[in-house]
Amino acid sequence: MPLLELREITKVFPGVLANDRVSMRLERGEIVALLGENGAGKSTLMNVVYGLLTADGGEVLVDDAPVKIKSPRHAIDLGIGMVHQHFMLVEPLTVTENIVLGREPGRLGVIDFATARERVREISERYGLRVDPDAKIIDLSVGMQQRVEILKALYQGARVLILDEPTAVLTPQEVTELFTVVRSLVDEGLSAVFITHKLEEVVAIADRILVMRDGKVVGETTPAATDEIGLARMMVGRDVVLRIEKGASKRGATVLEVEDIHVDDDRGLEAVKGISFSVSGGEILAIAGVDGNGQRELVESIVGLRRPKGGRIELKGNDITHANARASIEAGVSHIPEDRHRRGLVLEFDIAENIILGDHRTPPVARNGIMHPKAITEVARKRIADYDIRTPSERVDAENLSGGNQQKVVVAREIGRNPELLVAAQPTRGLDVGAIEFVHRQIIRERDAGKAVLLVSLELEEVLSLADRILVIYEGRIVKEFAVADADAETLGYYMTGGGGSKIDKDAIPGTPETPATGGDE
Amino acid sequence: MSAAAEDRSTNRDWAAIAQKVGTPFASVLLAILIGSLIMWVSGYDPIAAYAALFQGSFGTPKAFGDTLLKSTPLILAGLGLAYGFRANLFNIGAEGQLFMGGLAAGWLGLVLAGQPWYVALPLLLLAAMLAGAAWAFIPAILKARIGAHEVITTMMFTYIARYFVSYLVIGPLKSPGQIPQTGLLPPESQLPRIQSLFSDATLQAMPFLKMGRAHMGILVAIVAAVIVWWVLKYTTLGYENRAVGYNPWAAETGGISVQWTTVKALCISGSLAGLAGAVEVMGVHHRLFDQFSSGFGFTGIAVALLAKNHPIAVIPAALLFGALSAGAGTMQLMADVPQKIILIVQALVIFFVAAEGIVTYFVKQRQKEATSNVG
Amino acid sequence: MLADIITPDLFASALRMATPLALAAIGGTICERSGVVNIALEGIMLCGAFAGVAVTLAVGNAWLGVLAAVLAGVVIAAIHAFTSINLRSDQVVSGTAINILALGLTGFLMEILYGHPGTTEAVTTIKPIFRFASERGGGGFVAEVWHWVNTILFSHTPIVYMAIIIAIAMQWAMYNTRWGLHLRALGEHPRAVDTVGVSVLKGRWIAVLISGALAGLAGANLTLEQVGSFTENMTNGRGFIALAANIFGRWTPVGSYGASLLFGFADALQIKLQIFRGEINIPPQFFLMLPYILTVIVLAGVVGRSVGPAAVGKPYEKG
Repeated sequence: MPLLELREITKVFPGVLANDRVSMRLERGEIVALLGENGAGKSTLMNVVYGLLTADGGEVLVDDAPVKIKSPRHAIDLGIGMVHQHFMLVEPLTVTENIVLGREPGRLGVIDFATARERVREISERYGLRVDPDAKIIDLSVGMQQRVEILKALYQGARVLILDEPTAVLTPQEVTELFTVVRSLVDEGLSAVFITHKLEEVVAIADRILVMRDGKVVGETTPAATDEIGLARMMVGRDVVLRIEKGASKRGATVLEVEDIHVDDDRGLEAVKGISFSVSGGEILAIAGVDGNGQRELVESIVGLRRPKGGRIELKGNDITHANARASIEAGVSHIPEDRHRRGLVLEFDIAENIILGDHRTPPVARNGIMHPKAITEVARKRIADYDIRTPSERVDAENLSGGNQQKVVVAREIGRNPELLVAAQPTRGLDVGAIEFVHRQIIRERDAGKAVLLVSLELEEVLSLADRILVIYEGRIVKEFAVADADAETLGYYMTGGGGSKIDKDAIPGTPETPATGGDE
Repeated sequence: MSAAAEDRSTNRDWAAIAQKVGTPFASVLLAILIGSLIMWVSGYDPIAAYAALFQGSFGTPKAFGDTLLKSTPLILAGLGLAYGFRANLFNIGAEGQLFMGGLAAGWLGLVLAGQPWYVALPLLLLAAMLAGAAWAFIPAILKARIGAHEVITTMMFTYIARYFVSYLVIGPLKSPGQIPQTGLLPPESQLPRIQSLFSDATLQAMPFLKMGRAHMGILVAIVAAVIVWWVLKYTTLGYENRAVGYNPWAAETGGISVQWTTVKALCISGSLAGLAGAVEVMGVHHRLFDQFSSGFGFTGIAVALLAKNHPIAVIPAALLFGALSAGAGTMQLMADVPQKIILIVQALVIFFVAAEGIVTYFVKQRQKEATSNVG
Repeated sequence: MLADIITPDLFASALRMATPLALAAIGGTICERSGVVNIALEGIMLCGAFAGVAVTLAVGNAWLGVLAAVLAGVVIAAIHAFTSINLRSDQVVSGTAINILALGLTGFLMEILYGHPGTTEAVTTIKPIFRFASERGGGGFVAEVWHWVNTILFSHTPIVYMAIIIAIAMQWAMYNTRWGLHLRALGEHPRAVDTVGVSVLKGRWIAVLISGALAGLAGANLTLEQVGSFTENMTNGRGFIALAANIFGRWTPVGSYGASLLFGFADALQIKLQIFRGEINIPPQFFLMLPYILTVIVLAGVVGRSVGPAAVGKPYEKG
């Protein structure tokens, strides 16, 4: 008897068929992976199950009984728990407060915090998920926060655990650890739905794999019956190149020289603790690391968005250490920001207005503070054509474009400016395979044109397939440098989490859950 | 682009304009309807009231002149608010900057006595703009440097400005006599009345030009509206203002200084409010006293919101509120309805305009859901 | 002269002046903690002040007036709740509309009810609770101390004490009850609250209504305990100062009360100083500016970069 069954779920958004008669079953003690690209309909499906969205057709059955899940509360009462991709944790509150939120023990509306803390401790010991119940969420590492999310679902009595892209923010070691946790939970009798677009994870964790494309289930298989290439073909609907082809690097003169810079984060803590490196023309230098190890601050200091408190940055011999963003652009630095909605685009502006941002003071776009609409249109149309932005007109607002086209607008603007140095921070985050390929090709074209490229990425696949040289960043320092030929994912992962010296033992499963937080430097 | 495509795009533009104009109209209509309901419940005759109001605002050339008179500072204050809103700044304290602008004009006009009008008028207007900008400067710096909310700081500066002007007209700037007010501006520093520009014969022939107290400030206001529109649309200053208003982080990435843009925006907003104070002093009262503004700075909020922060649309929006305010006296006189009903209607307009954003908001959210939430 | 200024009744007056600010500020705290900005406090307070006087004049019982003030506050706040929570209007714009509406409504009703603008007839104000005897410069140290204590602590009207109790009770509730936990979570991460099955809409509605009740009570204190009559626009920016007090108090009820005491003291001091203006020779307008200048200084310097709830001012979209 399946614990959870979906029959022909259909969900329509204006203009988009997000789920087209999707069916799936989840047995007790089973891990089903839901594999698909961004936009395939995985999250929509699970949001229906969790009561965040209402299906337009089809049936949900829990324990063989049809149910209409109206709200997350209802889903929780049915034993369905969800670990969201963007954590549903209130940062200034404690672990305990977050876990018991909505189901607080106590009488007459007064919370019994002693009991609450006790229950949290109980559950965390029972499932081996250790965490300090009194710590504030804001002080925890991302891996720890995810653990709190899982505990929250368990506290609420979840029998089915939906994990939405749970590995997106984790290090390879944390991923291994998460897999161990999920496996042990399933051994305890829980079931799990694992949403992801990463092939190797599916193969590692799933009992059964459901592949989704364009809102439909296009295949069902098991890890034993397929491999990554086969899954990729199913997921994308055509053969994909897992690694992009590129020629050898023709290194030119040094373009960017970073010398012992120190940078503070927003809270005034030192995030970059003395980093030095240089990037030459015709070279892609990648910085690999787990999110939050100083990459953002490093990038922002190079592109003039953040002032370093020590050290020196030079572009072709010119000191740009204290340049602001405007001076930096004028010096020849382009920047593809990590968050296109926040940093990359003015969503309310149309494509033309967005595509000249940064060039909006200089000829031909503007002279003496006066802008020239004709010149703007010309520049916009040229860039739209050059970078294959799919739009009926340059007057379409950026918010009405797909994610891939939005990123193309950013890429068109930054590369179209013909910079000396391109700083690309997570340039393919949240894009589908086609768009990823496009962005990768553009970056390689820049390199082949003799420009310097600094790539910052959390995706090891991306780092390994694009970089000529790799630096590993950990806690604000560069802990290791690799030529791309000498690097592989596991070694990188090892250094990314603070390991040093010899190679990692591939069979070892990390013993203590606290590994990522306590590892030392070299 | 082919001709057909051009056609399509202009059609779309018209549809967009129709939608943009339709909702403010509906808001005003709804506000007037609810206003009548309130009057009816309170035992007044709404039809008689609105008839009187119309009579007092458009019924005669003189009444229309009064409408223009009231609209003039409203256009300028509304422009100030709109320019601020475009940078995501709420200059709720425009009234304070308006007071300082009035003060600058009222004082400098006396100092410049004896100068010809072509020297005095531009200098007075310029001084008022500078005074308004200066009064917005401290809130602007506080906003840019430490993020102190401009709604609180500009409001506080409004109270401070009022007490300051009150002190000056009672104290140092007081003209001889019982009444706390400054001396009369010399004619060269006054904005001439519209009808004074025409000969008696012309006025005889064209009686609609007998617009009573309406003065040339309306020309200043209209020119200002066109300039603000041009600045927002065709200059880097305006582009940066809008970019910062929509998304300061992206603007910063594009090399725009958010802090500096914020300071500029609030000061420009203040200078327009200062100009509003100046035309009121130079065109209507011809002297400074502490009650010279009947809340034009606050009504400017409603004007800007109704105009959806479009500088040209500010003109009709200001005319509407100017008419309400000009006709209110006649309404009270003829239909006995308290003038305060005008404030209620004004508040209702703001509610509906703000709630109207919801319709588009819903549509946008649905579209966003469709594009980003799938997956 | 200093001894004439620093007297027990200066501090007692500070406590009185702080009361309407504190009630409104605590209202602002609760409202903003739930994620809704309430710049309508000014207008709500004005409506409460008017309703209090109007009902007291009509029925002759000031306590019914207080009740009416609170109810009026709740009703006006409901408008703000509806527009900003359900309709998702811009919360600052909605608050502005309410402030203008309050000016119009109270003025309109005044003319309808009393036939004239300006100020209403006087009502009998609510009297202080305690009436202990004490005298200044009476006999000896103990008597002097008793006089100070009696004047500062025991000379007040009921709402002054209510404000202190409310500050403490709200502080406790915010950190010890379900309501408080949900409130603190609401303004930070409403979706997190929603996904555990607690209604964001309901939580925000309740918070806005509470802020309305408190601002209404603040208005009642102003008219029925302090002034004894209603004058158009008599709140005179207190709602905005209350917002600053809430920020200065770092979004906590007790902090808001403490910050209000500072502003109350400034107000008490400027009133006191006006008595001596013959000797000081500074025009009264400059004293009247003092609370407003202090507010700007507090926002500028002392507060620094204090941050409010993460989701404040953002309408919540479900799903």
